[in-house]
Amino acid sequence: MTKAVGPEAGGEYIEIYGVRWSRWAAKLSAQVDIIISLIIVLAVTAAFHLHFMLLAGDWDFWVDWKDREYWVTLTPIVAITFPAALQYVLWEKFRLPIGATLAITGLMVGAWIARFFGFHLWSYFPFSLVWPALMIPGALVLDCVLLLTGNFFITAVIGGMGFAVLFYPSNWPMLAAYRLPVEVMGSLVSVGDYIGYAFTRTATPEYLRFIERGTLRTFGGHSAWVSSAFAGFVCVLTYLLWWHIGMLLSRVTTLPNRWRHLFGYPRERPPQTASPAVPRDAS
Amino acid sequence: MTKPEPAALFTTQDWSPRAFISWRGLLLGLAGVFSLMLAYRSYQQVFGWSAGLDATDPAFDTYWMNLLKGELVVLTASWAGLWSYLWFTRDRALSQLAPREEIRRYLNLIFFIFVYAFAVYWTGSFFAEQDAAWHQTVVRDTPFTPSHIVLFYGTMPLFVLFGVGSLLYAMTRLPKFAERLSLPLIIAVAGPFLILPNLGFNEWGHAFWLMEEYFSAPLHWGFVVLGWSVLALGGLLVQILQHLLDAIRRAELQAGGLDDSLADPQPAAGP
Amino acid sequence: MRADACSRGWLALAWLLGANVALAHGERNQEPFLRMRTAQFYDVSWSTDHIAVNENVVVTGRFRLFEDWPANLPQPDRVFIGNGTPGPVLARVESYINGAPAIQSGRLQLNRDYEFKTVLKGRIPGRHHVHPMLNVEGAGPLLGPGQWLEVSGDHRDFKLSLTTIDGTQIDNLETWGVDTVVRWEGFWILMALVFVGWWLRRPLLMTRLRALELGHEEALVTRADRRFGAVFLVSTVLAVFGAATWAEQKYPRTIPLQAGQFRVEPLPREAQEIRVTVKRATYDVPGRAMKLQVEIHNPLDRPLQVGEFMTSNLRFVNHALPAAMARVEASYPAELLPRTGLTLPDSTPIAPHETRAMLIEATDAVWETERLTSLLSDPDNRVGGLLFLYDDAGQRSIANVSGAIVPVFVGS
Repeated sequence: MTKAVGPEAGGEYIEIYGVRWSRWAAKLSAQVDIIISLIIVLAVTAAFHLHFMLLAGDWDFWVDWKDREYWVTLTPIVAITFPAALQYVLWEKFRLPIGATLAITGLMVGAWIARFFGFHLWSYFPFSLVWPALMIPGALVLDCVLLLTGNFFITAVIGGMGFAVLFYPSNWPMLAAYRLPVEVMGSLVSVGDYIGYAFTRTATPEYLRFIERGTLRTFGGHSAWVSSAFAGFVCVLTYLLWWHIGMLLSRVTTLPNRWRHLFGYPRERPPQTASPAVPRDAS
Repeated sequence: MTKPEPAALFTTQDWSPRAFISWRGLLLGLAGVFSLMLAYRSYQQVFGWSAGLDATDPAFDTYWMNLLKGELVVLTASWAGLWSYLWFTRDRALSQLAPREEIRRYLNLIFFIFVYAFAVYWTGSFFAEQDAAWHQTVVRDTPFTPSHIVLFYGTMPLFVLFGVGSLLYAMTRLPKFAERLSLPLIIAVAGPFLILPNLGFNEWGHAFWLMEEYFSAPLHWGFVVLGWSVLALGGLLVQILQHLLDAIRRAELQAGGLDDSLADPQPAAGP
Repeated sequence: MRADACSRGWLALAWLLGANVALAHGERNQEPFLRMRTAQFYDVSWSTDHIAVNENVVVTGRFRLFEDWPANLPQPDRVFIGNGTPGPVLARVESYINGAPAIQSGRLQLNRDYEFKTVLKGRIPGRHHVHPMLNVEGAGPLLGPGQWLEVSGDHRDFKLSLTTIDGTQIDNLETWGVDTVVRWEGFWILMALVFVGWWLRRPLLMTRLRALELGHEEALVTRADRRFGAVFLVSTVLAVFGAATWAEQKYPRTIPLQAGQFRVEPLPREAQEIRVTVKRATYDVPGRAMKLQVEIHNPLDRPLQVGEFMTSNLRFVNHALPAAMARVEASYPAELLPRTGLTLPDSTPIAPHETRAMLIEATDAVWETERLTSLLSDPDNRVGGLLFLYDDAGQRSIANVSGAIVPVFVGS
C-alpha cells in the first residue's frame, strides 16, 4: 500500500492507499497516528471503564455476584455500547474494524490495573474474589463481522447476538471452578459464595448481592442460556443505538464564535433573531 | 507562475517531524501527571487505613482534611494560572498564521489533549474503580473520604485544568477553532467538567437515601452520562485530522509543492 | 510476589512518615439515633487480643434489635451479621446467630434478643480494630463495640483450605482458580493484540482518513484482511466453545450461587418484662451529663437494683452494685466504659411490684468524644438504650429505655 512514485517528484513523493503524499507529510502523519492512537486508548478506557463500573461493575468486581441471571444479562448489554460507538468512528472514518476489540481490551486492562492496585493492594482482596470477566472473544466477533460485512445492521444483529451469547461460555472455563459445591456450617454453598463470605466486604453485605435468588423455571438448569438469549436481543438494539450515538458525537459541528474579534478577525454581525414584520425600506 | 523544484524546498527548510513536534512538553506533562498520581496513590496506601477510617479522629484532620484544603488551593490557583496565561498570550492576528506554524500548533493541541486524556484515565478508570474497593470495604462516615479526597478533589480538578486548557489553547491559537467554535471539543471538555458539580448529586444520595455501597446504584448514573461525552473526542479527532491535512497541503503549496499532493495521482496527460 | 514487595515499600513509607493508627471505624460520625436505637450489642467478648496468621479469634455476644426502632429506617427484614474490620484483614470462617449458620442473610425481629458467634482467622498482620456488626438492608452497617486485635506473622503463610463435596481439595481459597483466570484472560488479551496489530502495522489514521475521503475502499480493506477476519472469527468461536466444553468436563457437578435466606428464632423473652417509662430526659451540655427521670415498674417477686445503662456500646455501670460490676468483661474496651459510671441518687432496691420514680445520671466526657451530643442536631431527637437490672441473687433483667431528650445549655 506504500510505494515511492515517479522520479518526476525527485523521490519526495510516495503513494499510500492510492493517495499521493510527500514524504515529510507521511512521516509526520505516522507520528501523529501513534500519538492519537494512544489518546484514543486512554480516553476510551477511562470513559468506558467509568460507564461499565457504574452500570455493571458490582457483578464484575466479585466472584459471588457472577450469577446466571443479572450478570449474564447485564454485562453484555452494558459492554456493547462503547464498542458500537467506537466502531462507528473507526470504521466509517478510517475503515478500521478494531473499535470493539480496542474498547473491550482497554476496559479489561483498565479493570485489571484497578483490581491489582485498588482491590488487591489497598483493600486486601484476593484475586480469586475480584477477577474481571472476559469479553474479548465477543468483541473480536463483533469486529470480524463488521470487517466481513461492512454493514452496521448485520453487525448489530449477528455481532450483537454473538457478543452476548459468547459471554457466558467464554467465562465458564474460569468460573466453573468457583461453582463447585461445598458444605460449610451444615449449609450447601458454592466455592464462590464462600470466598465472598470469607473475605469480608464490610460495607457490602451478602443481601446486597443483586443475583438470581431462585428462578421460576430454570429449563433444566440452563437459565444462563436464557439470560444470554435475552441479552443478545437487547444487545442488538443497544448496538444500533450506540452506533448512532457514535455518529452523533463524532460529527464535526461548529458554531459561530461571537468573540472572534478578540483574535484579530472582523466582528461577526449580531445574529438576526427576528425578521421585521415590515421591511424597513418599504416606506 | 514558476514553482521551485520540490527537491529544493526540502533542503532550505527543516521538514522532518522534529520541526513540528516538540516532545519535551508532552513528556513533561505526562511525567508530571504520573508523578502526582503515584504520590496520591502512595499517600492513600500509607494514610488510608492508618488515619482515614474515622472522620472525627484528629489524625484525619491532619492527614486528610489538610490534604483536601491544599488541593483546593493549589488546583484553583493552577486553573487561574494556566487559563489566564493561555488567554493573555493569545494570538491576536490569527488570520495571518503561517501554515507551518499552524501544523506545529495542531501538534501542541494534540499533546494538550493527550495529557487531558491521561488525567481522565487516572480519574475515570484507576481511582474511580479504586473508590469501589474502598467504599465497599469500610464504613463511610463523611463525604470527604480518603478515596474521595483524591478522586473528586484531586484528579478531577486536574483533568479539568487540562481539558479547559486545551479548549483555550485551540481557541486562542488555531484559526479554525477561533473562527468557529468546535462543538465536539466543547462537549469533550464540558461533559467531564460537569462530573465535578455532579458530586452534589452523589453526596446527596449517600447522605439521604443510600446507606450501602453498591456501584451500580442509580445515584452514580450522572457520572455515566457525563462520561459518555468523552466520545465527542471522536468528532474532535476527525476535525483535527481534517484541519491538519488541510494545513499540510497549504504548507506544501506555499513552499511550492505539487498541486496534487494528498489527492489522487494525476491521470497521465492525454496525447 | 510483586504485590508483597509493593506493600512492603508502602509500609516503609508509612513508618517514615510516622503514620499512626486510627481509633475507630467511622461509627462515631454515624448519627446518634442510628447508634442508640437500632442494634444494642451487649455481653460482647473477644476470645483473645493477639493471634498469629492462620489462628482464630472468636467474637461472641448478644444483641437486641431496639423496640423504638427509628421510623426512617426500614425494618430488619434482611439482616446480615458482618464484622467491622478494616477490610478482609481477617477471614471470616464461621458465623452463627442463635446457633444457626449465618452465611446468608435473614429476617430478625424487633425487641428480641439474639446470640451471635463469629470465628475469624488471622490473615493480614497488623493491629486491627474488630467490631461485631449487623448490616440491615436499607439501614446500612450498625457497629457493635470494637476491640484491638494484634495479628502477627506473615501474610504469605495464610491458607484457607477447603474440600468440596465432590472431593476436590482446595489448598487456598485466596489463589484457587486464579491461574486459570490469568492464563485464559492473558491468552485473549494476546489474541486482541494480534488482531489489532494486524491493522496497526500499516499507516493508520491520517492516511486512511484521506484515502477513504477519496473513496479508495479496496486499498484500505483488502481480500487478505477479509480472509484474516474470517479465520479469526471462526477460531474465536471454536476456541470459546472448546474451552467451555473442557470446563464442563473438568467440573461436571456445579451449583449456582446460593441466595436463600436463613430462618432463626429469637431467644426466649424474659418471663416478665420490666417496664421503664421515661418521664423526662435532659442532656446537660456544659456538664456533659445525661439525666433520665424514669418510672420503673418491677413486676417480679424479687427486689431489683439498677446496674447498668447501655447505649451505643457505652456502658455506664453502677459501681456500687457488685452483680453489675461482675458482668464487665476484662476484654471490654476501656474507652467504652466511662469511669464515673452510673449515678443513682436513690439506690435503694425497687421492691417487688413497686413502681418507682427515679433519676438516672450518666455523666462523662465520652458523650462528647463519641459525638453522641450531635443528637441535639438530629431531626429525630430521641434517646434510647438498655437498662440492666439485677435482683438480690444477681439475676439480670433487661429493659428498654427510650424517650425524647431536651438539651440544657445552662449549667444546673
